Amino acid sequence: MNLTVNGVSHEIESDLLTPLLDVLREELGITGPKAGCHQGGCGACTVLVDGEPRRSCLVPIAYVDGGEITTVEGLGTPEELSPVQQAFVHHYAAQCGYCTSGMMLAAQAYVAGGGTHDTEAIQEALGGHVCRCTGYSKIVEAVAAAARGDEFDLTETAVGKYTTMTTGGAE
Amino acid sequence: MKVVGARIPRYDGVAHVTGRTTYVDDVRIPGTLWAKALRSPHHHAGITKLDTRPAEEMPGVHAVITWEDVPHLVYGHLEALGIPADEPLLAKDEVRYKGQPIALVAAENEELAVEAVSRIEIEFEERPALLDVRKAFDEDAPEIHKEGNWYRHFENEMDRRQIRKGDIAKAFEQADTIVQGVYRPAAIEHAPLETQVCQVVPEANGRLTIYSCTQALYFSMGVIAAHLQVPLNKLKVVGGTTGGGFGGKVDTATETMCCLLAMKSGKPVKWRWTREEEFLCSSTRAPWHMEIADAVTKDGWILGRKMLTLHDAGAYSRFSPYGLTKHSFHHTGAYTIPNLEFDGYVVYTNRVPTTAMRGFGVTSVSFATETHMSRVADVLGVDPIEIRLKNANRIGDTSPNGIVYTDPSTVSTIQTIAEAIGHELPADYRTMTSEPRSGEWLPEHLVAQTANPEDH
Repeated sequence: MNLTVNGVSHEIESDLLTPLLDVLREELGITGPKAGCHQGGCGACTVLVDGEPRRSCLVPIAYVDGGEITTVEGLGTPEELSPVQQAFVHHYAAQCGYCTSGMMLAAQAYVAGGGTHDTEAIQEALGGHVCRCTGYSKIVEAVAAAARGDEFDLTETAVGKYTTMTTGGAE
Repeated sequence: MKVVGARIPRYDGVAHVTGRTTYVDDVRIPGTLWAKALRSPHHHAGITKLDTRPAEEMPGVHAVITWEDVPHLVYGHLEALGIPADEPLLAKDEVRYKGQPIALVAAENEELAVEAVSRIEIEFEERPALLDVRKAFDEDAPEIHKEGNWYRHFENEMDRRQIRKGDIAKAFEQADTIVQGVYRPAAIEHAPLETQVCQVVPEANGRLTIYSCTQALYFSMGVIAAHLQVPLNKLKVVGGTTGGGFGGKVDTATETMCCLLAMKSGKPVKWRWTREEEFLCSSTRAPWHMEIADAVTKDGWILGRKMLTLHDAGAYSRFSPYGLTKHSFHHTGAYTIPNLEFDGYVVYTNRVPTTAMRGFGVTSVSFATETHMSRVADVLGVDPIEIRLKNANRIGDTSPNGIVYTDPSTVSTIQTIAEAIGHELPADYRTMTSEPRSGEWLPEHLVAQTANPEDH
């Protein structure tokens, strides 16, 4: 079997019925998708399969043979964040971060599909994703901002090329 | 105030949105074994047979541990604070809650580990379970611990956390009305997105490297060292990245058992709980049973409070005596009540042991006291905001445990809330401050309890 993950082609050796999540994490070492429940309930393992958001823990690998997979690692880099990633940073939409990669791929699919900043539509699109830290408001704000095409000055919110850490003591 | 109100960078924000944050489950160590636990299927039972040989004999199984492998089996999370140990790392002859770990295996993959656990031969003698905290004191209640169904080691070996202040009998004599209420907040599972997970690597130099999702790294280090009976310099605990905890990762739930498997097998070991285990076997916020009776005057002064608290600790004490102590100190809420009779018990049941969760001990009593304040206002037909301001902590007031308040913020907080919700207050409540009581805000029943803050 073959998978293209974030633009890179891989021959897959796992058994036919192995969940896509386990292939990504255990065979390919791509750890962005998280095993939050392994039963399709939390959304932390969400990846894009040919552009559509899917719970990778519920997808047998044989079902997506030859498919194009995008994980959080394929959205953008710390140096060149994608618009959805920028929106999540700017709006502080990640706390512990464990649900974030799945949230962002659902958001990416929503925005790419022409989704608007309408709160109810965003809630519907992200409805199956559990976050225990944020209370969801900031996540919805971030997705709305990305849907509007807001541009962000990340010098105030992002570490890295944008700025250096000035508050100290956090790490 | 450089930071409050300012936009500041999150040190881990970019790593989170790019998938670069390395959680414990993301640490890659070649040759790592998977751990799985044999857990009690019963709330309460004796263990009459335990034979792990069928699991040990399976190809691909590298270690099986039971209580016999633990150098120091029974250790208390707060033993250093004088709270006696009562919980074995692995159950020996009795299980006291459903999901209690009895044995663990480490095998070459997860499926093999599951299969090996299923081959362990175990037999139980089921016993009656105690699941209702109110029945713990009954003569015919199931016995959970030999010393009884509640914790007995508060100062001077008292079996309860007790507070006596002022003259409670007089307060109830003088009251116009007694207002009673019972409050029973339920257990809450923390349900972090990252389930309990740990990886341990036995290093060539004899040390153990422990990748832990703990919220309390140095605390866990002490617990592990005590169980293993090794000095701290044999343990390198790597933490700092937690996929949600909320208090549920303060207990040392996985690390010690992974260490034992790594030591026995000589190989790296990983244990990641399933979501089902997280819900059924991980510690929760405690359920509480609270009974309050307030002696009140018809114009809204609270003269006295009697309170009984039953803190459902689950099967073992862990942090519960500490949680109940905080609870007792806060049992008047943000209000000053001069005459008190409080009795609180840490009660054992056959439920999962309970633990920290965001202000544990205090959240339960805050729920009860605030609900009760509104109930008192309702019974008396007085304004619920005014009754709170009237009884609010002021400079020079004393807490249930005798602390003199020197800078309480209750008055301004309640005034701010009233304004935010558009609740009109009479002028004397609107202009009230936290300054020491005088005039109409210093009725006779509060004179004796009021201290001079300059002395404190």
